[in-house]
Amino acid sequence: MEQGRQEAVINWQRACHECDLLLTGGLAPPGQKLICPRCRCTLHRNGNHSIYYTIALSLTGLLLFIPSATLPLLDFSLFSFGAESTLINGVYSLFKAGFIWLAALVLFCSVLAPLGKFALLLFICWGSAWRTLDRPVSHAVRFYQHIKEWGMLDVYMLGVLVALIKLRDLGKMEVEPGLYCFGAMMLLANLSSLSFDQSAIWHRLAQRRMFKGQDL
Amino acid sequence: MSDISSKGLREGLTSCLCCHQLIILPLRGSCRCPRCSARVYGRIDGSLILTWALTITGSLLLLPANILPIMTVVYLGAGEPSTIISGVMQLYNTGMWGIALIVFVASIAVPVMKLLGLTLLLVQIQLRISFDPLQVMKIYRVVSGIGRWSLLDLFMISILVSLVDMGFISQVAAGPGATAFASVVVVTMLAARTFDPRLIWDAYDGDLYNTAVVPETAHRSAAENG
Repeated sequence: MEQGRQEAVINWQRACHECDLLLTGGLAPPGQKLICPRCRCTLHRNGNHSIYYTIALSLTGLLLFIPSATLPLLDFSLFSFGAESTLINGVYSLFKAGFIWLAALVLFCSVLAPLGKFALLLFICWGSAWRTLDRPVSHAVRFYQHIKEWGMLDVYMLGVLVALIKLRDLGKMEVEPGLYCFGAMMLLANLSSLSFDQSAIWHRLAQRRMFKGQDL
Repeated sequence: MSDISSKGLREGLTSCLCCHQLIILPLRGSCRCPRCSARVYGRIDGSLILTWALTITGSLLLLPANILPIMTVVYLGAGEPSTIISGVMQLYNTGMWGIALIVFVASIAVPVMKLLGLTLLLVQIQLRISFDPLQVMKIYRVVSGIGRWSLLDLFMISILVSLVDMGFISQVAAGPGATAFASVVVVTMLAARTFDPRLIWDAYDGDLYNTAVVPETAHRSAAENG
């Protein structure tokens, strides 16, 4: 576009966010990833159809959230007593016992952040198709970057498994259907954050802005 | 490896940590990223001091987390509070060494290694000890990647508390150590977040962010990128 003006200045496209090395190539070719030559961090992973995959995966994840939050995950019985564990149940027990900070942390990491991640990804990928949503979408990308590492469904899953084995010799432990939904949701959470490529979103927004400029 | 002619700091450019947009280096203070409106600093503001503070807080909190009981399992009226270490030992003694290993790694090895790793990073940068930056980057990536797995123990406690609640017969209650342990995990995760890995390379190259000068060409170069 502006090739005439580049005699003296190199057209830098990207600075590595981990070592500050300037690069002239900003994006990876489709299906490949761009790795910083100096610090070897992954700068950009260009998956095929990133936006559509992410929409599908995060929508499925959101739908799976309903059964995995309402159905019991585990069932424990001892003599004639029985108790079920759901996602919210543990948080409520901690809250009732006065561990408010602990309850809030567990609630955030196992319910709110994963839910927020799914919702934000869906909104970002879907909303980027409309021009009126440009501003909210770019804010949503920022929020997503902030809560990204706090969604800990995989850690929670491991916690469930450890609890399952730990209680096995104390009483009777049964896996309920909610756990399967939860496992599937965990998988979807990882897949959707893996397939999400924010530069595809930025590219989409920039392209539309350019076309709009040509129309006028 | 030491070809540093094209460093963002020297060309007066930096990238937005949130959306990786290339923008002109804000010399004093910060500016807003034009694309995602995140706050952009040349280097994260007060990165080293904040990371030091959070690392020290985390190390101090590690004491109550390990000394105070994290949960109490009552079975048929009898029960004693267990700390993190005694919980692991109990699992090991009952023959579940696989689970014992997982819990040991998640709740003892990871927090300790994380705090040691962060201290090592900070000391190396502040004292400018000669180091291999790739090695240090490896430490940084491990430190920022493994932190979340320490919450395993807390999730397990929250599940046990809700499952085993049968009054006199059997009951699991959380203990004050769990609160301290949760704080350790959160504080160390924040510490890894506030640490700016570009400072490793600055120390290696001998650059100081405060004395950086923006060349005139930078602004034109950045302007062309939008």
